[in-house]
Amino acid sequence: MAAAAKLSPTLQALIDKGLFDRLPPTFSTFFFEQIQEWETLFPAERSYHERLFSLIDRSDPAVVEKMFEPLRRIEQVMGVNEKNWPRRHFTLDQVDFLNRSAHYPQWRKTVSEIFARLDPLLDEETARKGHARLVVVIAPAELPVSSGRMWLRIRQHGKRIPVEPPDDVADYLPLLLTGAPRKDAAESISAKYALAKEPYAAWSIEAGSGLSDPGGRGALVTLSYDRLRDYRTRLTNEVTRLLKTQEIRGPRQLVARLNELKILASEGDVGRDPVLAEFTRAILLSGNGTLLINNTFVEWSTVQAARRARPSVTVVSFGIRNKIKPFTSLLIYADQDKSNPIPSQMDTLGTYVDLEVFYQYIWQEFEKYAEYRHNTAYLFIGEGMDELLAIAPPDFPLLAAKQPVRLAQVFGTIKDWLNL
Amino acid sequence: MLALTKRRFLQLAGLSIAHRILPARLWAGAARQPQASRKVIIVTFGGGVRYSETFAPEGLRNIPRLVEMKPGGSFFKSCTNAGVLSHYNSTGSILTGNWQRVDDFGFQPPATPTIFEYYRKQTGAGPMDAWAIATNKSFSLIGSGADRSLGQPYGANVVLPKQLLLEAVESVVKKNTSGGAANRENVLQHLETILSEGYEGVGWTIFKAGGQLDRTVRDTLTHALVEYINGPEAPTSGDELTFFIAREVMREFAPRLMLVNFWDMDVAHWGSYSLYLQAITKTDRLTGMLWDEIQSNPNYKDRTTLLILPELGRDGDINAANGFLNHRSGDPSCRNMWLLAMGAGVTSGEVERPVFHVDVAATAAELLGFKAHEITGRPIQEILS
Repeated sequence: MAAAAKLSPTLQALIDKGLFDRLPPTFSTFFFEQIQEWETLFPAERSYHERLFSLIDRSDPAVVEKMFEPLRRIEQVMGVNEKNWPRRHFTLDQVDFLNRSAHYPQWRKTVSEIFARLDPLLDEETARKGHARLVVVIAPAELPVSSGRMWLRIRQHGKRIPVEPPDDVADYLPLLLTGAPRKDAAESISAKYALAKEPYAAWSIEAGSGLSDPGGRGALVTLSYDRLRDYRTRLTNEVTRLLKTQEIRGPRQLVARLNELKILASEGDVGRDPVLAEFTRAILLSGNGTLLINNTFVEWSTVQAARRARPSVTVVSFGIRNKIKPFTSLLIYADQDKSNPIPSQMDTLGTYVDLEVFYQYIWQEFEKYAEYRHNTAYLFIGEGMDELLAIAPPDFPLLAAKQPVRLAQVFGTIKDWLNL
Repeated sequence: MLALTKRRFLQLAGLSIAHRILPARLWAGAARQPQASRKVIIVTFGGGVRYSETFAPEGLRNIPRLVEMKPGGSFFKSCTNAGVLSHYNSTGSILTGNWQRVDDFGFQPPATPTIFEYYRKQTGAGPMDAWAIATNKSFSLIGSGADRSLGQPYGANVVLPKQLLLEAVESVVKKNTSGGAANRENVLQHLETILSEGYEGVGWTIFKAGGQLDRTVRDTLTHALVEYINGPEAPTSGDELTFFIAREVMREFAPRLMLVNFWDMDVAHWGSYSLYLQAITKTDRLTGMLWDEIQSNPNYKDRTTLLILPELGRDGDINAANGFLNHRSGDPSCRNMWLLAMGAGVTSGEVERPVFHVDVAATAAELLGFKAHEITGRPIQEILS
C-alpha cells in the first residue's frame, strides 16, 4: 500500500483555476487543509474530495452561487475576514472562531443545508457502483447475559437468527469467520476478501488479538488494541513527560506535539503503511478514551474506518473492559497498571452496558453512507450464544432461516453474499 | 502515622484553605459573622449530561435523589444553554448572566462580571461570603470577570480541591523524608495521577495553586492524605472531594453565595456508557447530600435557595459524531436542559415556560438583593415569588 503522489491532478487543476478561492472561506479552507494531507488519506476520502469539488466545478455557476449565498451572508455576520480566516489555512484558531461565535448554530445549519443538496448527488454516483458489503460485530463470551438481553437498542431493525453453537466454544468464531474449526487455522472471510479486492477494503478491528493474523494477510487491515500495547505505552509515557517537563500551555501546543508521535514500524504492522500509521495515531490521541479503554478503541476505530475508508468487509470484535481503579478513574493518559498496584478486574456488566450503545452507534455510522445503505449485511454476534442478530437487505439468505443454523453455514452464506 | 479520620482531614483541608486565602485577622473572625439573610447555592450537575439520562422517563432511574427532591421544588422543564458548549463558557454564562465566549479551557476570566463581584461590591460582603468550589481543574479564573472596575478584589474564593491536594502532595510528600507513608514515591505518583485529570485530551492544564503551605499544615496534610486515600471511606472521584470540601466551607464559613461545580460525568469522553451512568448516579447522590446539609445546617435551613442545573448536555444518539461521548454538536440534546430550584421561597410545581442558563445569575441577584448590570439573563419570577 504505497502512498500516492501529493494531491491528485484533478484537484490540483481545480485549485489552479481558483475554485477554492471562489467558495466561502469557512467552507473551502477546511477542505483545502484536509487535502494537504493527501498522502495519508484513504482512497475513499480522495475520491470523495475529487467528486465533491468536480461536482461544484461542473455545476451551473449561478446555482452554485445561490447555494452558497446563505453561507456568505452568515460569514459576513460572523465577521469572517482575511485576517481571522486566511485563505487556505485552517487551524484550531478557526475552530475556536466558529465555536465561540454567537452565530455558530446558524452557521452549522447553513453548512448542513449545503450538504443536504450536495450529498444526494454524490450518493447517487456511489449507489450506482454499489456492491454487497458485510459488517460483523462480535461481543465477548464473558458477557453476563443471554441472547435475550442482547442488542436491545437495534434488534427491532433486524431478525434474531437461531444458531447451533459448537460443543467447544473455542470453535465458535473460527466456524463463523472461516467455516472451519480452530485447529484448521483456515483463512477468515476478511482475509479472503482482502486478497481478492483493493487495499483497505477489508478490516479486522479487535480489542484482543484472537482474530487477526499478525503476519499480515496481504491487504487486510488489522487493528488490535492488544497488539498496539507498545505504541500505547510509548504515547502514554510521552504525553505524561510532555506535560510534566515542557511548556504545553494549551491545546494548540499539545496538538502540535501529539502530531509528532507517530507509530514506529517495530510497534505494529500498521506502522509500515503511512495512511494506517496516521489513522492509528489519530485514533489513539483523539482524547476519547481510546488509549485507555479497549472497547472505546474498537468502537472509535470502526466508526472512523467507516467514515474515512468505507471498507467493504469489517469484522469488529469487542473485549471485556477492566474495572476502573479508584482514583485513576479520571485520567486519560495514565497506565492504570503502573499507577495503581491493585490487580485489574474485569467489568463484565459494565462492558455489557457499554456495548449495547456501541452496537447502535456502529450500525448507525455505517448506515449514514450511501456505500452501505440497502446492500450491507450486519451480523451481531455474541460469542457462544444460540442466536445472532442480522440486519440486512431482504434478499440476505440468512433472514429466511427457520431452524437453528450451523455456524459454518453462516460462513457459507456471507461468503456467497460477498461473491467470494 | 497519624490516625486521622476523614472528618478530621476535611477539617484540616478547610483550615488549610482558609489559612491560604485569608489574612489571619479575617480568618479568625470569618466563621463568626452573622448570617441572617438569604443564601444561594448554584450546583452545576455537571460534566455534561443529557435529558435522556436524567429527567426523561428512561433516565429517572439514574437520579433517585433528584426524583425524590423534585416534588418539593420548582422544576423548569426547559432550561436552554444557547451559548458555547464548553464547560468553562457554559458555567461562566451561568455565573455572569451573559453568554460567555472566552477561551474554552479557562485561560481567560469571563468577559463580563460574575454575580460574586456584583454581590460583594454592592452589599459589602466579605471574602468568605462568596465561594466557587470546582472539580474541573480549569476553573481557577471563574470567580471573577475581566471588568477592571470589579474583578478579583470582589471575586469568589475559587477552590479546586484536587489542585489544592496536588500542591500539598507535590510540595510535601516529595520533599519530606521523615515519617509518614511507607512508600512516598508511590503515593506521589498515585496522587499526581489522580489529581491531574482531564477528559478532553486537548484540555490539559495544570494550574499551580498559589504559594506554599505552612509547614505544620503541610505535614499534617501529608499524613492525613495518606490516611484518607487508604481509608475505608476514601473518595473515588473528584466530585466526592468537591462535595466534602463544599460542605466543609459551608460549615466553617457559611457563605451566602456559592457555586458547587460537579464534573465527573465528563468521564463520558472515555466512551464507557456504564461509567457515565455511574457518574450521573454519584452526582445525584452528592447533590442530595448537599440538600441534606442545607436542611440540617442552621446557617442554611429555610434561608437557602438551591439552583441545580446541568451546564450542558451531550450529543444525541442519532446523527451525532459519536453520541454521548461528546458535547459540541449543538444539537438539542446538547442544549436543552432542566433546572430544579429548591428551598427558601420556592413554590413547588413544574414550569413549562422556557428559561435560560443566563437567567440563573439574574435570579440569584434578585434573591440576594443586588443588581447585576447589563446582563442578558432575566430573573426567573417563579422562583422569586
